[in-house]
Amino acid sequence: MTLKTKSHWVDYAIFGLSVFLVFCLIFDSFLELPVLVAWLGRWHPVLLHFPIVLLLGAILISLTNKNVPYPLLTLACITALITAISGFFLGADVSAKGDLLLWHQWLGAGVALLSALWFWLDKITLGQEMYTKGLQVLLIVLIGFTGHYGGMVTHGEDFLALPSSKKQEKIPENPLIYRHIVNRILENNCISCHNPNKQKGELLMTNLKEILKGGESGNILIPGNPNESEMIMRLHLSTEDEEHMPPEGKRPLDQTEIQILERWIALGASDTLRLDALEMGEPLVALVKELMEPDPMDKWTVLPKVADSTIMNLSSDYLSIKRIASHSDALKINIFLSPEHDPKSITDLHRIANNIVELDLSAMPIGSKEMEMISSCVNLEWLEIDRTPVTDDDVDKLKELTKLSILKIYETNIGDKSISVFKGLQNLKSLYLWKTGITQGSLDELKKIKPNLLINNGIKEGVNAFFVDTDTIQKDIKTE
Amino acid sequence: MEKDKTNAENPLKVNRRHFFSQLSVGIGSLALGSLLIPDLFKGGGVKELTDMPLGIPHFAPKAKRVIYLFQAGAPSQLETFDHKPTLRKRMGEDLPESVRNGQRLTGMTSGQDKFPLMPPTVKFNQHGNSGAWVSDFFPHIAKIADDICIVRSMHTEAINHDPAITFFQTGSQISGRPSMGSWMSYGLGSENKNLPSFVVLTSRGKGNSQGLYSKLWSSGFLDSKHQGVLLRSGKDPVLYLNDPDGISRSDKRHLLDHVSSLNKLHHVETGDDEIESRIAQYEMAYRMQMSVPDVMDVSKEPESIVKLYGEDCQVPGTYAANALQARRLAENGVRFIQLYHQGWDQHGNLHNEMAGQAKDVDQASAALVLDLKQRGMLEDTLVIWGGEFGRSNYCQGKFDPANYGRDHHPRAFSIWMAGGGIKPGLNYGKTDEFGYNIVENPVHINDFHATLMHTLGLDHEQLTYKYQGRRFRLTDVAGNVIKDLLA
Repeated sequence: MTLKTKSHWVDYAIFGLSVFLVFCLIFDSFLELPVLVAWLGRWHPVLLHFPIVLLLGAILISLTNKNVPYPLLTLACITALITAISGFFLGADVSAKGDLLLWHQWLGAGVALLSALWFWLDKITLGQEMYTKGLQVLLIVLIGFTGHYGGMVTHGEDFLALPSSKKQEKIPENPLIYRHIVNRILENNCISCHNPNKQKGELLMTNLKEILKGGESGNILIPGNPNESEMIMRLHLSTEDEEHMPPEGKRPLDQTEIQILERWIALGASDTLRLDALEMGEPLVALVKELMEPDPMDKWTVLPKVADSTIMNLSSDYLSIKRIASHSDALKINIFLSPEHDPKSITDLHRIANNIVELDLSAMPIGSKEMEMISSCVNLEWLEIDRTPVTDDDVDKLKELTKLSILKIYETNIGDKSISVFKGLQNLKSLYLWKTGITQGSLDELKKIKPNLLINNGIKEGVNAFFVDTDTIQKDIKTE
Repeated sequence: MEKDKTNAENPLKVNRRHFFSQLSVGIGSLALGSLLIPDLFKGGGVKELTDMPLGIPHFAPKAKRVIYLFQAGAPSQLETFDHKPTLRKRMGEDLPESVRNGQRLTGMTSGQDKFPLMPPTVKFNQHGNSGAWVSDFFPHIAKIADDICIVRSMHTEAINHDPAITFFQTGSQISGRPSMGSWMSYGLGSENKNLPSFVVLTSRGKGNSQGLYSKLWSSGFLDSKHQGVLLRSGKDPVLYLNDPDGISRSDKRHLLDHVSSLNKLHHVETGDDEIESRIAQYEMAYRMQMSVPDVMDVSKEPESIVKLYGEDCQVPGTYAANALQARRLAENGVRFIQLYHQGWDQHGNLHNEMAGQAKDVDQASAALVLDLKQRGMLEDTLVIWGGEFGRSNYCQGKFDPANYGRDHHPRAFSIWMAGGGIKPGLNYGKTDEFGYNIVENPVHINDFHATLMHTLGLDHEQLTYKYQGRRFRLTDVAGNVIKDLLA
């Protein structure tokens, strides 16, 4: 008897909630929610887990041809309705709903109303009919899609996209300042919240028209006046400030990014401005160029992976192997002379030859075997073999190292024969060959062929003479 | 970034805070938080580096080591690199209040009712293609004008030596923080395990000196293996490094192995990581017995190099000898080589003392840059020359053009840098015609630290160490990388 009265109440509750939900959906745009109700909406992300689990559980039981326990179905149905309504409250915070949110809203409402329908069918003992089963399968599909759209609303549309597919468009040679530079900064920092699906502070930053329109607190950008523009002011607030953008927990813009936005606004915030239209002394030119400069780390992303254990095994107290930077497979190696030096410690490095980008073998007793190893380091950019017993024949082994940019080979016995190797090294930028057997004539010839190569053949004669002749240091200096 | 060492490894080391933070309640509330605030764990740039092992820069560095030629006592910018002819024209006139603008003074001049402007005691000339103004006190540095970047717009908050030098070295005026050399050692690790990664060399000129304390090269709350090692001049660069008579190297090895096993037992008992550092330091000292005498032996340097640095580089304990030593240490993979030359505190007798101090350091400083350059080491070695603040444009005490001195001045002073990814031949920053206030491109000490770290491939906001419940950085909560200085 008591059970029956109770179940009446349940029927009324489910009917009432369904009607309320439909009402909400229909009169969506006319509703103005009180603050407390809007706050209730904040519980949506917590509540939503209940109907998912309960509904799926109930469907599973039903699909195995068992009767769904009455309390389970009741609870599943009520939580589905409450979740949908709370979701509606949460969505009401957003002024204009984007596609994702609309899909999520209608699918969610569909789940809630269909589960109410199922509850009613079950009540009139049609729970095991074929069309009820169909309805249950449909519910599974709808729950899946609702969840997926909800996830995209909160985490961003590309949340499930594979990391590699997120590659950014290359900045063209002569970029449009707004489209290729400013918009990129906004996309990396602002648009994840200020897009049609989220619209925090009623502000859209996806295109210039929307940015100029501003948001909740009015204009955010005053062309020609960065200091009065709210979007710039907020970037400059201290990161602890409530109003600071981007909000706490997100990466603040760096100085270059802020300065680019400032200069772009100062110049009128145009979307047709191109880099080559800027005047020579305009600071924006240097800023944009800085942004366009390829990251030196990029060229090393193609190197084979090298494990920390390999690095550890090949290292010793006298041989240090370091990654050029964190997460990089480019290696830099320094070797110092150990009292019990074993040439094998150097030749063993052939295992990681492809990864070696910088190699310092200064003052080491290296011979042809070590040079063999060096010649296999095809990605080598920086080589120090100064103060070593290398000869012209050894230098000949360097000719395949096309990426070599800096070569230190001073205080060695190499002679003019090596010049032809240096000539062939396409990327060579600096060459240090002070105190070698190379004659001035050959040097002049090399300079003629490679005018951009920095050749250092010791301190300039005049300067050196000045230092030798004008010894200003006091003889009677007090020592401790 | 930082390893929270107090947390893991040893079960004895759980403190009250960790106990609470590790309760399942903590985890549950995090989960709830992530639902209500979806971006909570999405992570901005700050999180990405937290799992990064130390000893590796954040991005590809330009500089791999630093030689800091610290001129302790604060050389006058008005007699070195900041040319102010107005001071000669208006000699004896009182410094306009509009220029001083309420700047606090030290106890030495705050009682003065007049602040007579004083001219530079030395002539200036322009040098090199960059047209850099360098005083005639520094004929050798003038020769390398195109290799160095002179910054004339440094400023600090401290007005007395000790807080000022502590600020420069540790990023804080109050002692106790790690020295910048220790931060670099912590962030970049060592290139050569047989030498300390942070070495200190001191010398003293005849000028008025201020004290130097080992706190300036202390590792503060960082692991003590990052501490600066002071190398002394003379026979024993490191005290007690050599074995006593009658002890052979293998005896020493046995001794160390045994001590180390005892220490390891103790470590298991207490979980104190400093014990591990201690073991490592014994081993380092053992290897240094071999490496240090070799590195410190300048007798192998050829005559041409001796002439370049000046004859005094053969006299241990001179600035010139330390400068040459610095190059040798850099060649051997020491990350941070800190020189101090004392005696730059010219409150009186400005001309004569400056002349003497300049003679001590001019040739050797310039020679070091030239020597590094011919060895290709300027490509990846950053050389810095400068003091802890500037000096006043008015005289201390009564107006006397024949013999005067300058008081401390924090608002503007000059330093120079060379190599290591810094633009050569650049003259950066400007002061007003009185050399008192900066009018263009100010560089605060925090900015200087941030820029220095940037050249070494370190992000000054990412290199942190958690201590006493907060994360510390060299730049504390300030500092911007001055991109204009970068090559």
